[in-house]
Amino acid sequence: MIRKAISKKTRFSLGFFSVLALLLGYTLLSDYQHRRNPKDTVIPNWGQLGEGVQKIVTPDRFGERWLLVDAQATGLRLFLGMTLAVALSLLIGIHMGCFPKFEALLYPSLSLLAKIPPTAAMAVLFVIAGRGYALHITVITFGVLPTMAMAVYLAVKSFPDELQFKAYTLGASHSEVVWTLLFRFVLPKLIETTRLTIGPAIVFLIASEVAFESSGFGYRIRLQYKLVAMDVIYPYLAVLAGFGFLIDHLLRRLERRLCPWSQHR
Amino acid sequence: MKEAIALECHQVSHSFGEKKVLWDINLQVERGQFLSLVGPSGCGKSTLLRAIVGTHLPRKGEIRIDVEPNGYGKSSILRTVLESSPVRTVLESSVTRKVLKTLKLARDKPAAAPNSLARKTQIVRGPGRDRGIVYQHYSLFPFLTALENVALGLKLDETSMPYRLVFFQPWKRMRKEHLRLAEEYLERVKLADARHLYPHEMSGGMRQRVALAQTLIMKPQIILLDEPFGALDESTREDLQRLLLELYNQNQEARKNGRPPPYTLIIVTHELNEAIYVGDRLVGLSMYWNWKESGFATCPGATVIYDQPSPVFEPHEVREFERFEQQRQEVRHKVFDPEHLEPAARHITYWDERRNR
Ligand SMILES: Nc1ncnc2c1ncn2[C@@H]1O[C@H](COP(=O)(O)OP(=O)(O)O)[C@@H](O)[C@H]1O
Ligand SMILES: [Mg+2]
Repeated sequence: MIRKAISKKTRFSLGFFSVLALLLGYTLLSDYQHRRNPKDTVIPNWGQLGEGVQKIVTPDRFGERWLLVDAQATGLRLFLGMTLAVALSLLIGIHMGCFPKFEALLYPSLSLLAKIPPTAAMAVLFVIAGRGYALHITVITFGVLPTMAMAVYLAVKSFPDELQFKAYTLGASHSEVVWTLLFRFVLPKLIETTRLTIGPAIVFLIASEVAFESSGFGYRIRLQYKLVAMDVIYPYLAVLAGFGFLIDHLLRRLERRLCPWSQHR
Repeated sequence: MKEAIALECHQVSHSFGEKKVLWDINLQVERGQFLSLVGPSGCGKSTLLRAIVGTHLPRKGEIRIDVEPNGYGKSSILRTVLESSPVRTVLESSVTRKVLKTLKLARDKPAAAPNSLARKTQIVRGPGRDRGIVYQHYSLFPFLTALENVALGLKLDETSMPYRLVFFQPWKRMRKEHLRLAEEYLERVKLADARHLYPHEMSGGMRQRVALAQTLIMKPQIILLDEPFGALDESTREDLQRLLLELYNQNQEARKNGRPPPYTLIIVTHELNEAIYVGDRLVGLSMYWNWKESGFATCPGATVIYDQPSPVFEPHEVREFERFEQQRQEVRHKVFDPEHLEPAARHITYWDERRNR
């Protein structure tokens, strides 16, 4: 039989085993590589990785701690980009869901835009938005807005008519229906979509940093890649993974806190 | 004694494009009446109810409703200020009224003198807080607890968004009062223990109870129920029917004491037993009537072909189905049978019977 329940202990030990296997595989691989070439930096061993970590957390000759500087730059860009995307998608999605004219107007172009890969459109965005924060924010927004706006729009559409009518019989005004009722109905969907799109948003941001930037995770990875300094790149990847986990966890907590009624968690 | 007419459907007809649904519905609902509306599936019961709620206005005819003009919003703190005499003279000016109206601090009608019983007939042009509705599904807001759902109407009716933001402290005090009142109403529908549950944590029967409290707390002129118990099991259904009979009982109490009856209700149901048990008046809507005799080439839509008193039950009385039987047979034959085409007006005798009693 499929989907048979397993105990918590089994689940935990299997998960533990999978991570352990990953680390063990890596150790064997790097060991093998180092036996052939003791100076290898493509698959650094644990000692080299330790030095890499040292390198990114201690100040360099300009007095900059790489990890700190990069995390600040990338984090702020991601935050600004996602904030703009959330705000715009809420505005667009709610208008599309509430007013058929907006729906007819925006639906075709939104689905068209959604088909253009933002990394491919980066050159265009670069010309339009220039460099720096404006570019990154534009890339992120361009990349995730169609998906998010569509999700909000569908959530608005799923608000039962009966509830809307009910609200009017209870004395609600139009703006109250939208901003005190519909908004709360859509909120968990919005948070969930944010959770799902933050991964792609990071992809777009790193790509635009790799291409155009002189700070941030993407920039550092490009620089170290040219030096084949994998001892720095792997810790950076680990940090990025941790970063993703943390944001996801925070958003999940936020949803549980703001929408305890939402059953899908 | 005849009470005021709470609601009137005047020559109401409706069609969806080519599809003719309702034809020339004329109904007067007296205050305090519990009217059961029955009819074959798809005859337009929900359509008629939607027209009364005002969400889908009829193509022809109009719905009239008897409303009490009740001045400014009921917010108590605001009221004390508003009703002091210097403020009042300013407020009474037409410019101020316009501003207040847009802010939703005042009602559409000018404030009546405190003791005035002046009532006014209004034509239904959209949904409003004078008509409460309970649907079969989706009557509760999923993101509010039972208590918050019941208190919602007070919040929406008595305050506005700008008010809640600007007068945050008074709003918090008012909110406390709302929640206290909501708790009373939850007790009335015997759900005090469920106050903190969300709709998805409640059974279907509990949800409909909360929905009823949510509507009752607004003290609407008329309560509309569209197959409210259609999704419930038999025993839960009976509990809820008894709850409605308790409301009817309060009407009779009020009449005995010379007060106007507080609840007027229209219940749509496909269950004939339920219709006869809950209502004191049974109205049958049907497309199976003799329209040829009235000179139509095709059916112009469903119309009222049956309108008679139905027996009144006490909430705790044992339900004797024999008392239903004759009326049941009659309605089944005249309203539900597609083969039997009744002349339109023959069984509309409610008001005659009332007069002769
Ligand atoms: N929005 C609509 N568009 C077209 N036809 C409709 C619409 N709503 C209802 N109808 C039709 O009107 C008739 C009456 O529907 P309804 O009032 O829901 O019946 P019921 O008496 O079962 O509540 C049905 O035949 C239905 O198909
Ligand atoms: Mg119906």
